[in-house]
Amino acid sequence: MKISAAREELLAQLQTVSRVASTRAQALSGVQLIAAGGRVELRATDQEIALRVPLTAEVEREGTILLPARLLVDVVRSLSAPSVSLEQRPAEQDVELVAGNAQFHIRTLRSEDFPPFPEPEQEGNVTVPARAFVDTVLRVANSASRDETRPVLTGIMVSASERELRMVATDSYRLSVKETQLEHPLAGGFEANVPARALQELARLVQQVDGETLTVGVRQNQVVFQIGDVILSSRLIEGQFPNYRQLLPESYEHELTIAGGEVTDVVRRISLLAQKNAPLRLSFAPGELTVSSQTPDIGEARESLPVAFQGEPFEIGFNPDFLRDGLEAVGSGDVLLKLISPLRPGLIQSAEDGGFLYLIMPIRLNV
Amino acid sequence: MRLIVARCEVRYTGRLDALLPEALRLIMIKADGSVLVHADHGSYKPSNWMTPPTTIEESDGSIVVRKFAGKEEDRLDIRVVEVLSDVTHDMGEAAALEKDGVESHLQELLAEQPHWCGEGFRLVRREWPTDIGPVDLMCRDGDDGWIAVEIKRVGTIDAVEQLTRYLERIRLDPAMDGCRGVLAAQTIKPQARVLAEARGIACVEVDLAVLRGEREPDLTLFG
Repeated sequence: MKISAAREELLAQLQTVSRVASTRAQALSGVQLIAAGGRVELRATDQEIALRVPLTAEVEREGTILLPARLLVDVVRSLSAPSVSLEQRPAEQDVELVAGNAQFHIRTLRSEDFPPFPEPEQEGNVTVPARAFVDTVLRVANSASRDETRPVLTGIMVSASERELRMVATDSYRLSVKETQLEHPLAGGFEANVPARALQELARLVQQVDGETLTVGVRQNQVVFQIGDVILSSRLIEGQFPNYRQLLPESYEHELTIAGGEVTDVVRRISLLAQKNAPLRLSFAPGELTVSSQTPDIGEARESLPVAFQGEPFEIGFNPDFLRDGLEAVGSGDVLLKLISPLRPGLIQSAEDGGFLYLIMPIRLNV
Repeated sequence: MRLIVARCEVRYTGRLDALLPEALRLIMIKADGSVLVHADHGSYKPSNWMTPPTTIEESDGSIVVRKFAGKEEDRLDIRVVEVLSDVTHDMGEAAALEKDGVESHLQELLAEQPHWCGEGFRLVRREWPTDIGPVDLMCRDGDDGWIAVEIKRVGTIDAVEQLTRYLERIRLDPAMDGCRGVLAAQTIKPQARVLAEARGIACVEVDLAVLRGEREPDLTLFG
């Protein structure tokens, strides 16, 4: 194999693809370069996510090589010449990289150990608006669990049908549901529990790649996303995802509309003194909400804001990060806060946009 | 450490008002200014307390504990009706927590409740022998997969290295070549978590008080 490419283009595509390269197995820590049919493609995988990105390059000799991803990125980043050539030297089992006067010989990894990638299928795919898909991902992704001991919760349950795209994520302490109404009906539908990490990677790609539509192909145990010439595939998570509708309380004792920006700012400020797992305390009294925090040996903070609260005063505690995530995910505009009691879940949603729900469990307060 | 067993009424005023009606209670006044009011129930948690720094004023039949939280005053008014016992002990220097004792206790508790290490885990054996030493717990999951669990008070990079070595030895047995690893600790250092995840080892933080049944687990939307 022998190719040459602009250094800037090569670096950008290597940085994109190497994000999914594994840090565990040696073969999976590589980036595969495939030059065939006059095109060059870069591939990387950690066996959960696989990514293929095109590279604009001149192909002098076709072939396939596997090089250590991190090292290759570091080398290309360090180059000053505008173009780079890569030539495989089978006898030496390496690749000669030349850029200006700089010359590198980088040992290749065993291509035989690199797994085959799923090919996108022509049938059974659903095309969705890329922007709407990614915006929906970003509204719920924070609620997905990072605890690998409960893998089913590390995914985002994605459902698409007709004019609706719905994503649900929960780590058992909070639950995010975003329903996005689409302009045009979809030609097909699917439901799959996709690792949140894969969808967050997809969100990054969509922001980098030109393309208004995203093709989604759900297979038995994997999903393939294609935007332009970029293909990201991921295994699907097996297991029973919680039925979110059963988790939503049927009624609430208090329903308050609060200026979203204001309460989010207050929560951000007061959270600074809720450290070492200390809760954020929300004290409701007629006409007023006081947000306070206290961390032993660090200090205390409190701030009040007017709210249309009526009834007996009560206090409820929340994880400051989880509460802030929920308020930020609502976006701009007023926030509708629905509460039952200090030990029952609270609901945060946009007062204007009914398509987003954030259910959050409180923390027990000692006093 | 001063321990007073007294019939008393305790009124807390500050961020909210709370009243403990007149009853027989244990009042602990520690040298660091902590004041704790215990009942003979409610597990290890005091019925009311004040963390240091505090100001303690005592008069006939009354102990007032005050603390300033910002501009506001937190106040514990203890109205003492009858004193049954009032003793003060010099506690000297407190010994550090016995690390091995905690780890051993964690192992005992997790052996009884292996589900805290992972969903569907069941214990096969404590102190599973390898030729370089015993791994704390050997479990199987719902799919009958093997899981070696190493238990630490604090999960560090050394703990990840130790578990990695055990896994290498365990996986030499073809019947256990798919054995996974779980590092369970009260706290896990971020660097250890990164290294563990890079090696495919799961990290689980466990709460000793929850394992002991002394504190209820965090509230969750579902089990």
